[in-house]
Amino acid sequence: MKSAEVETRIRQVAGQRRLPETHLERWLALDQPSRARLLEITETLKLRTGQIVTAIDTLHEIAVREQTTIAEILDRPDIRRTLKSAGSTPARARALIDQLRTMRFPLLRAMQSRLAAEIAALKLPRGIEVVLPHELGSDELTVSIAAHSGADFERMLAALESKKTALMRVIELLGGKQ
Amino acid sequence: MNFEIDSIFVERGCADTPLATRVIRAAATRVPIVHIDDARELAKPDPNARDPFGAGKRRMIIARRKTPFLMACPAGSSRFACCGYLVLTLASNCPMDCSYCFLQEYLADNPAFQVYANFTDSFDELDRLIRSAPDKHFRVGTGELADSLAFDSMTGMSRDLIEFFSTRENLTLEFKTKTDEIENLLATDPRGRVLVSWSLSTDAVFRSSEHRTAPPSARIKAARVVLDAGYRVAFHFDPLIAYENAQRDYVELIDELLDTISPKNISFISMGGLRMTPSLRTVARRRFANDPMLCGEEVMAPDGRYRTFTPLRLKLFSTLAERFRNCGAEIPAYLCMEPAAIHERVFGTVPPRPATIGERLASS
Repeated sequence: MKSAEVETRIRQVAGQRRLPETHLERWLALDQPSRARLLEITETLKLRTGQIVTAIDTLHEIAVREQTTIAEILDRPDIRRTLKSAGSTPARARALIDQLRTMRFPLLRAMQSRLAAEIAALKLPRGIEVVLPHELGSDELTVSIAAHSGADFERMLAALESKKTALMRVIELLGGKQ
Repeated sequence: MNFEIDSIFVERGCADTPLATRVIRAAATRVPIVHIDDARELAKPDPNARDPFGAGKRRMIIARRKTPFLMACPAGSSRFACCGYLVLTLASNCPMDCSYCFLQEYLADNPAFQVYANFTDSFDELDRLIRSAPDKHFRVGTGELADSLAFDSMTGMSRDLIEFFSTRENLTLEFKTKTDEIENLLATDPRGRVLVSWSLSTDAVFRSSEHRTAPPSARIKAARVVLDAGYRVAFHFDPLIAYENAQRDYVELIDELLDTISPKNISFISMGGLRMTPSLRTVARRRFANDPMLCGEEVMAPDGRYRTFTPLRLKLFSTLAERFRNCGAEIPAYLCMEPAAIHERVFGTVPPRPATIGERLASS
């Protein structure tokens, strides 16, 4: 596809989706392979406005951090797999955005998964909720109890007491200990 | 260091001051000197400049400061365990250009590089401070809104400051810098009351983000020289940036530091994670669009700043703290702009109150 044709189609997509002007400018400012590949994916997956914005922002940050181009990122095998996977077009679009976020925050995602697994392994009774800080932006772990009777409450406290060591471990992980 | 300035503006009434005389003598052959009535308009951002903040750095203004010189550190907050640092604002903005620098936001409306001709008026403020609390010891620094030593070869401010502080028992002066501009320091006896501190970063951060600063090795070498000349030295690992291999690189940096300077000669160290308000991040990424250090794994923290997500940030703090703990001497340490709970996690102790930390660091 020629450069002028790519630009025309990007402008068409941006107009249809009411893409913010700043993001249209950033899209057009990309190198030719990158803007063409992003256009192709946008059209194939019928990305919504918010998804295009997220894709441009996230891809740009990954490209800066890894000192590569957006075209090279979008041509990686795992991204190609997502694009060709079974499932509806909206589901593949969501999967792509999620995958980009994971690429943008690899260590954060790995730590969130690890902590979530540690919490799931606690097998706490219904009524006790262990909530991690949003995006691990702090070291504060929230444990809530929803009890309907004194006996209920005592049972939950006992459950928490029996899991104290494992809970302490989650708190230590939040504090950077391995 | 050899920084570039486009022009020097001297406000009416300042031309005959010792500071202006020194600057004009040092720069007149290579930079135009312009005399003006009022510096306020010139201090504002240039609306025609593509990068008004960057343009401000190249415009030096010598003017009178009309507000107090002494203030509490602007980074202080009841949210954080603070170090009790007092700031003496003798200049505003900095000829170096670090991509993460908070001045890009803090001085956005006032970006010219201003040096205050009446800076010795600050000595009266300091004497009033001493009289108000004669039993206390204060750590006072000039490196918050400017680098303490950049342009010192032109301004010669350090000599006046050292002379003043060396005769005040309960004051410690801290020059904070990323330069290796130490010639004036070597010509003056600090009598143990002056501390020079360097912000230290890894080579990767230096190359990517710290434009026009001295390389980290040069900073460490300069520290060794001033230590031998009778100054106390300290080091700020701030901002710590959690890029790939950061942990390894920071440990190597500390090893290089400790190979050059014995731990018992280090007055203190501080650490702080990269932190950016949303508006600072926007400005920084606009000015340094290709700096990978500005695209780390930062998330929104409870204080409204983007910070490296907590376990990763704390892991980096703890690794550095442990390296210093195992170096054979107890070096006082604190965290900048972190809550007391984080301090406790990293150092294993509850942080003392700000005033206590300040006094301890001042006399360590």
